Amino acid sequence: MNALRRGARNAFRNAMRSVGVVVILGVAIALSISMLIARGAVDAKISAVRSSTGNTITVSPAGFFAGQGGGTPLTTAQVTGLLSVPNVTAVQASLSERLSSTQTNLTSPTLAGSLGQRFGGFAGGASGSAGSLSVPIRVTGTNSPGTSLVGGANGGGTEKLTAGVAFSATSHADVAIVGADLATKNDLKVGSTFRAWGATITVVGIYDAGSTFANAGVLMPLATVQRLASAANQVTGATVTVNSLGNVSGAVSAITKKLGTAADVTSTQATVQSQLAPLNSVKTISTYTLIGAVVGAAVILLLSMLMIVRERRREIGVLKALGATNRSVASQFVAESTTFTVLGALVGGLVGVLISSPLTSALVSASGGASPTGFVRSGGGFTGAGTGFTPPAGAGGALGFRGFRGISNTLSQLHTSASWSTLAFALLAALVIAAFGSTVASATVTRVRPAEVLRSE
Amino acid sequence: MLSVENLNKSFKSDGGEVHAVRDVNFRAGDGEMVAIVGASGSGKSTLLSLLGLLDAPDDGSIEMNGTQLAHLDAQGRTRYRSRQVGFVFQSFNLIPNLSAKENVKLALEFADWPKEDRDARAEAMLAMVGLGGEKGNRRPSKLSGGEQQRVAIARAFAAQPQLILADEPTGSLDRATGQKIVELLRNAASTLKTTVLVVTHDEKVAQQADRRLEIEDGVLTEIA
Ligand SMILES: Nc1ncnc2c1ncn2[C@@H]1O[C@H](COP(=O)(O)OP(=O)(O)OP(=O)(O)O)[C@@H](O)[C@H]1O
Ligand SMILES: [Mg+2]
Repeated sequence: MNALRRGARNAFRNAMRSVGVVVILGVAIALSISMLIARGAVDAKISAVRSSTGNTITVSPAGFFAGQGGGTPLTTAQVTGLLSVPNVTAVQASLSERLSSTQTNLTSPTLAGSLGQRFGGFAGGASGSAGSLSVPIRVTGTNSPGTSLVGGANGGGTEKLTAGVAFSATSHADVAIVGADLATKNDLKVGSTFRAWGATITVVGIYDAGSTFANAGVLMPLATVQRLASAANQVTGATVTVNSLGNVSGAVSAITKKLGTAADVTSTQATVQSQLAPLNSVKTISTYTLIGAVVGAAVILLLSMLMIVRERRREIGVLKALGATNRSVASQFVAESTTFTVLGALVGGLVGVLISSPLTSALVSASGGASPTGFVRSGGGFTGAGTGFTPPAGAGGALGFRGFRGISNTLSQLHTSASWSTLAFALLAALVIAAFGSTVASATVTRVRPAEVLRSE
Repeated sequence: MLSVENLNKSFKSDGGEVHAVRDVNFRAGDGEMVAIVGASGSGKSTLLSLLGLLDAPDDGSIEMNGTQLAHLDAQGRTRYRSRQVGFVFQSFNLIPNLSAKENVKLALEFADWPKEDRDARAEAMLAMVGLGGEKGNRRPSKLSGGEQQRVAIARAFAAQPQLILADEPTGSLDRATGQKIVELLRNAASTLKTTVLVVTHDEKVAQQADRRLEIEDGVLTEIA
């Protein structure tokens, strides 16, 4: 039996103490592993949230949200003036209007439903019975149909042109691209005409955005809507594109300064930053807990080994008197502390992987805003807008919808998994702990003089 | 043949210097059992620790079969301890979580005894001290004091040392048991041709030795 085997066997000499040391080491290692896993999960989450952030800023008249609330529309001049803000590359302006049944011959494909009645706001039948309610037609005037068509300025989804062509950004013509459901309901094809605000509008294209709500809308040139709806120079929303993600917050403050109290300026990045704050604090907590657990484990092992070496001082002297080298006696203690560490790592590894998942979700939800419920207001607001509920065409913004849904999805899927690098780190930490405990033990072993055995008998 | 000349060792303590071993000279032949008697604190254990190379002397010479040992380095002293010296202590000093046989094999391991022969050698040594069979697999706590000291003697003689140093080997045993232990040492010394130095307070034990030496304040004298 060599020194290493003796050492491993010595680890079980005092069963009670061994169990205590292994349990404490195990708990510390479990804590380190779960903190590592939590960190990894939070890291992945943070980068997922970051990557879902766009480089756009939403500008809407103050107090205006989801087509509700008061507020004075912004002016075209105010909005186009935003192009002079540093780092801004494009400004997409839109004007949301509604056509009541007296202003158009179109019929909405959507039924009023109970939501529609509750939220009201329809033209016509204002004082009539529920039966006479009719859903107004949503018209979005836009100066950049290209962006609208991919961004879903019209309330979600991505509009895909299924027939015809888009109008130009600066068009003044009485033309429109209509949603697929609206077209079916009113028998509209490319080249068909309909009546709006007393003018005759020609359908130049038909889009499909994949949602009943979006497919009930009409997109027209901004200038045309401003003219026909007697809303000259009025804009209800703008989406500002910034050249890079890093410049978004700077542009938000510049725009806020420029427009003053007239507008609400939001970027998904600001929202994301506030959602990231608790995640970042979870990351910080787990880093410190990780360091604390590893240091704590090392200290516990060190003290235990010191206690053991002291207790066996006489035995160490006997081994030396029998002719054992310092190295052989020290390696016996190294084997003993390594045995403790390995057992602790086994216990800790098992427990750590088991508790990391509930621990991570507990940490994330305990830190507030990052829980999925934080996003219900925005997410639900849009998706619930099935009937008779007008969303902010330009105001809520294309990105608003996609961004929010992206974040809430990724957050609810916060995964915890033990990767190989995590295990490798845990192993390394365990080795460092073992080495630490062993070094101290070895140093003490070397100092024991064998002549002590013959004294104080 | 052990030959000691002008051996000196002193310790510095708070109360000044203690000259524990003063100009000690003596010789002991192979197979000879020598008793060392003396009052408490007279320097008996200190002398043994110098002869067993547990400690280095201040000056003097220790020669074993013509080899000078007083000036060996730490590595040389360890090697000498593992192969040329065996210790027997008053409190047995067996390793508690190893069986009797494993305790004996420990000495063989440190002496680099051929691996494949260790088991048989340990069993033979235990048989020599009267602990053959099942008792060899017991831990020290499951053996009587006398039996434990037998295991210690088997361990001390296992690696065929030239010198056995026994410090009060009967001190923890009753008279009858101690008597048997001394007989065992006596017989092993002559059959294995090993020099045995026994430190003792017990006159009866001392009388069984071939020669008796007395130490007083570190000074060693032969008792006629
Ligand atoms: N390491 C040491 N440091 C200081 N003094 C020591 C040391 N070892 C021994 N001494 C002193 O040397 C003297 C001799 O001690 P030693 O242990 O050799 O006596 P002893 O004859 O074995 O006594 P006992 O019969 O009580 O065992 C004593 O005065 C003791 O205090
Ligand atoms: Mg003594």
